[in-house]
Amino acid sequence: MSDEPEEDLELTSALVPFFVITNGRSLPPEHAYGHTTLVSASEHAATTVRTLTPEARQVLDLVMDGFLSVAEVAAHTHLPLGVVRILLAEMEDANLIIARKPVPRAERVDREVLNAVLDGLRARFGA
Amino acid sequence: MIRDALVWCLAVVAALGVAAAVVLSRRAKAIAANKDRSEAALTQRLSEADGRLATLRAELHQHRTDHAKTIQEAEEAAEDSTKAVLKGSARFLQSLAAEQLALLEEIQRKYGGHTVLGDLLEVGHANAQMARKAQGIAVMCGAPLGRRSRAASVYDVVRSAQGQIRNFRRVEIMQQTGLALKASAVSPVALAVAELLDNAASFSQQGSPIEVTFQRVQKNLCIVIDDAGVGMNDEERQKATALLSGQYRPRLSQLGNQPKFGFPVIGLLSQQYGFRVDVTGVSRYGGVRAVVLLPEELWTEEETAPVNEVQPVVEQPGAPAARPEPVARTAGGLPRRGARQVPIASVPDQDTVGLPHVAAGEDAGRAAGRSLGAFQRGTLSGRNLSAAPSEGSDDT
Repeated sequence: MSDEPEEDLELTSALVPFFVITNGRSLPPEHAYGHTTLVSASEHAATTVRTLTPEARQVLDLVMDGFLSVAEVAAHTHLPLGVVRILLAEMEDANLIIARKPVPRAERVDREVLNAVLDGLRARFGA
Repeated sequence: MIRDALVWCLAVVAALGVAAAVVLSRRAKAIAANKDRSEAALTQRLSEADGRLATLRAELHQHRTDHAKTIQEAEEAAEDSTKAVLKGSARFLQSLAAEQLALLEEIQRKYGGHTVLGDLLEVGHANAQMARKAQGIAVMCGAPLGRRSRAASVYDVVRSAQGQIRNFRRVEIMQQTGLALKASAVSPVALAVAELLDNAASFSQQGSPIEVTFQRVQKNLCIVIDDAGVGMNDEERQKATALLSGQYRPRLSQLGNQPKFGFPVIGLLSQQYGFRVDVTGVSRYGGVRAVVLLPEELWTEEETAPVNEVQPVVEQPGAPAARPEPVARTAGGLPRRGARQVPIASVPDQDTVGLPHVAAGEDAGRAAGRSLGAFQRGTLSGRNLSAAPSEGSDDT
């Protein structure tokens, strides 16, 4: 029926697509889990490791011994940042990890205020 | 006188009677002979007719056989030519879908940090379903299945199958095993499981779970799929068994307007690759229990690394590009990492930020600027100044 030699089709895409890894969940809100947000495993995370997907387990292994930034987690797992963020959001919902947001800009001390303080000290002590 | 006359009369009557009897018996004989002759003639004609009838019957049979054969040949020719036409298109679709999957994965990596990723993931789902359909049609037409070059855990093979059906979130894989499928079995088993999952999803209520478990039975590895559907009656079971075993191969033209080629595809695949599929069981929810039985030639007990773990992080802690794993703890009980010579591009160093008491380094890093590069430079310079001494209390 077929005369031409049938060359095999090689499937190069990942066996498990990303949307299965995220189980179809949507991205967390934009401000959550930014590049510099720090995540670490919570205390009772180790007990639930067996029931996790391989990817979630890999993330948990990375943050088991201390805080790691979201960007670093993404780099080490070779997963897209968004996929990692979805995983992290799910894991935080399950109380497996704790996330520490970077200090927002507004809370930082204004340079002008510091200058004013410095001026005040100079005026007071005459440095 | 009268007596004489009477005697004569009697004699005459008797003579007449005898004569009549003789005549009658002669006629009877003649009639009998006649009858025999005509009977013989009739019998002969009858047997002649019988002979002709038998010949005609044989001819009719011959014609009927020829007719059936011609029709079958025509049907087969039509089937073959239909398959040939479809096969070409199916292979085209198949390779295009595979190409698109690879391309989409690349795009998803490229825009991994962008909000568009959410939409891209959905496109990926639609694409995976299309790829499954293309593969199914290709298999029905006798085209080879796209193959995978790497072995994969049976868990990942089922997840791959899961991604190929519409309501994939209903599928729950209840356990993980260290068992892996050989590379050659990955594609066919994934497609067969995908068709079974699709069947389970179509014939059970929306939202009801579809559970997947793994069992080792003697030398076989079983993938067990339980749905909470309505189950099948005996007739449906028989039909399904015939299709799944590959005994009955329906023609393309018999598949109907809304072709259901799930079971025929599984039948073909299982025959080609040497596994078995059974759907006659009853699930714990009263639905169908489908079992894919994989003989030992198709799997190994070796554990395979997850597909996306290109570079195992934990196994090479000394590699310069890899982040050194935390090896010790500081005096304060906080994790500490080894010193790093080469900074990782675009990944900010969080050593000092993670430690509240090295405030100087942290502030220096923040003040250095908003960009990650500046952040990293600041962190490094900050560590040079203050982080090292603060951590150095228990350093050797």
